[in-house]
Amino acid sequence: MAEIPPYPGAPRWVKISAIIAGVLVLLVVILLLVGGGQHGPGRHLAANGADAETQADAQPQGDAR
Amino acid sequence: MTLTGRLRKLVLTAHVATSVGTLGAVAVFLVLSVVGLASEDAQLVRAVYPAMDLTARFVIVPSIFASLLIGLVQSLATPWGLFRHYWVLAKLLLTVLTIIVLLLQLDGIGYMAAVAAERELSSNDLLGLRRSLRFHAVGGLPVLLLTTTLSVYKPRGVTRYGWRKQHERAAPLPAADS
Repeated sequence: MAEIPPYPGAPRWVKISAIIAGVLVLLVVILLLVGGGQHGPGRHLAANGADAETQADAQPQGDAR
Repeated sequence: MTLTGRLRKLVLTAHVATSVGTLGAVAVFLVLSVVGLASEDAQLVRAVYPAMDLTARFVIVPSIFASLLIGLVQSLATPWGLFRHYWVLAKLLLTVLTIIVLLLQLDGIGYMAAVAAERELSSNDLLGLRRSLRFHAVGGLPVLLLTTTLSVYKPRGVTRYGWRKQHERAAPLPAADS
């Protein structure tokens, strides 16, 4: 059986894509860490179903009387 | 087993149909998510979220799983293989990533549909979740476009495993239409 020629390595598009993917993964990890490790729809929801922004809007701004 | 002739074309057609179908369904989902955020018509907003839920569960999820399954059969039953060419491997990774993100979104989509079915939504209601659905649809679309582009252009490059297999068998490369 003939000897297999040496592997020429990954093409440039693969290397560039791998770098971009690595940066994106790093970015997601950083965002997850900054966001307190919570990700997913649950983080937007409070116990009563309203999200944090809605609740903030619903807070009374002072005594209306 | 190796796919040949008509069967190979049939499997290819099914793969293209399911992959491009997923892309189209995600585009529809994106439009609905934008309407859900931007429209001032309360009835329209209430209708949008159940429609998004149906689109996700009965079109996007089945079509992307079918696309993955058919793609696996296609790669394993043709000389392309699953781990021999970088573009095939990239497609596999991107599709699996998309499926994971999609499955993680289903609870939120279902929740929005349930809330919209119960009551009217003000422009500030569940804003974070509604924006999240739009954000993930915006992210999913280029990923699916990328997998489609890889399928058409089939950029050169074999993996180390593919290189070894190619030279062990000294088999010719498959036809460009496979």
